Amino acid sequence: MSNHEQLRQLILDILLLGPEEYSLELCRDQVETWDSLSVVSIAVGLNETFGYHPTPSEATAIHCVNDVISLLEAKGISFGD
Amino acid sequence: MGATILFESEAKSDIHVLDAAWSSPDTFAFVPDKLTISTDWLNAALDSLPNHLARNHFALLTSGSTGRPKLIVAERQRAESMARLLDEVQLGAAATQTIVTLPLTYCYAFVNQWLWARVNNRKLILTAGFSDPDALDREFERAQDAMLCLVGAQVPLLISLMEKARFPGIVRLHFAGGQFPQEHLDSIRDFFPNAMIFNNYGCAEAMPRLSVRLADATIPASNIGRPLPGIEFSTDTDGSLLFRSPFCASAFVEEDELTLTEQSAWIATGDFGRVTDDGSFELQGRRLEVFKRYGEKVSLPQILATVQLSWKGEAALFREKDGGGEDGCVLVLAPHPEDAESRLILRDFRKHHSRAQWPLRIEGSDHIPKLQNGKIDTSGLSVLENKTTYWRQRI
Repeated sequence: MSNHEQLRQLILDILLLGPEEYSLELCRDQVETWDSLSVVSIAVGLNETFGYHPTPSEATAIHCVNDVISLLEAKGISFGD
Repeated sequence: MGATILFESEAKSDIHVLDAAWSSPDTFAFVPDKLTISTDWLNAALDSLPNHLARNHFALLTSGSTGRPKLIVAERQRAESMARLLDEVQLGAAATQTIVTLPLTYCYAFVNQWLWARVNNRKLILTAGFSDPDALDREFERAQDAMLCLVGAQVPLLISLMEKARFPGIVRLHFAGGQFPQEHLDSIRDFFPNAMIFNNYGCAEAMPRLSVRLADATIPASNIGRPLPGIEFSTDTDGSLLFRSPFCASAFVEEDELTLTEQSAWIATGDFGRVTDDGSFELQGRRLEVFKRYGEKVSLPQILATVQLSWKGEAALFREKDGGGEDGCVLVLAPHPEDAESRLILRDFRKHHSRAQWPLRIEGSDHIPKLQNGKIDTSGLSVLENKTTYWRQRI
């Protein structure tokens, strides 16, 4: 499974989204389930899936899916697949 | 004082023994053959009753708040009035007989069936319940204008053991002793096409009924309707559901302590509840089934009600702490769900609950473990083997 697909599955799972709701532009203020607990969940999920645990400030700075990709790419995890 | 102890097997062998005990002025206890307490404890509890309870009363055992047995003492005249009232409020479904599938020592079967038959002069049909499904099937087949009292946990047995049977002779069907099996309502109507189906609510301290309403697919199982005539409901500041009833028990003995109850007193049902917009009452969980998680109230019955919006199999919850030590719960489904089925459940969690109220995990299993009395073995759920995790929270 590509990194894009793994990230998609993770976000769908944590935010309980339908597949049609997901996009790279999806932002925090567009989804009611993207709450404070989900910020923690996303951080834990990223560690489980990609082996990188965002710091608290990195986790709270994530506002959309593209932010996750930018963060992970900065840590050497490629989304060029 | 030496109150009589009457064991269930004695009444099963000869029901007139129970009639004789009821007719005798001395207070008696009617108990299961297999006691989880000693007869010494039972005798001591009966001996602790004040003089006015030593005559014209009876005593039954129930589970106390600590899980240890609790002896409930009730006045016979009040219980007879309750049995008459139960008959009056079920208009349109006159029953001439009742088929007993539960132990008669259950307050529910004792008052709703044995005493109901006695005071209303109806026929009582004793069976071995689902431990002898063939014999039970024959009784159901033979039934004519019969009333049946079941608990929700018996419905999966009915479905698996009497597949596609039809019992038109059952005209009244009662459910009590736990959450109404709303998820099986269509199947129940298929089995009993002529039955009026009732969702009963009560507790042993109420001896036992507080409300009875017709089952309706459009009304959640947690809605218990309005109290019976003469009975009142109220809620405490913390949401505890209270009742006041002229039919209530006179006393109970729990943990060696005797507590006398007054008809004018507000008594805790052990549930949380609230009044709905239409004036009916809605249960929000047993006191032990409601807890706070990240500051939000989590009601296990409400979580289950959400699961049952789309899931037609069995479902149960057990409590577990998350990685941060916060209270949570785990949902177990049986049989194993398809991916699309668990997605539908998750969709409904998102729609109806905040994240703090979502279960920590959704697990699937071949079966849900049950106790001897048919209720879910929640402690067995957590250690069940061959479970599969279909979804989990990351916290």
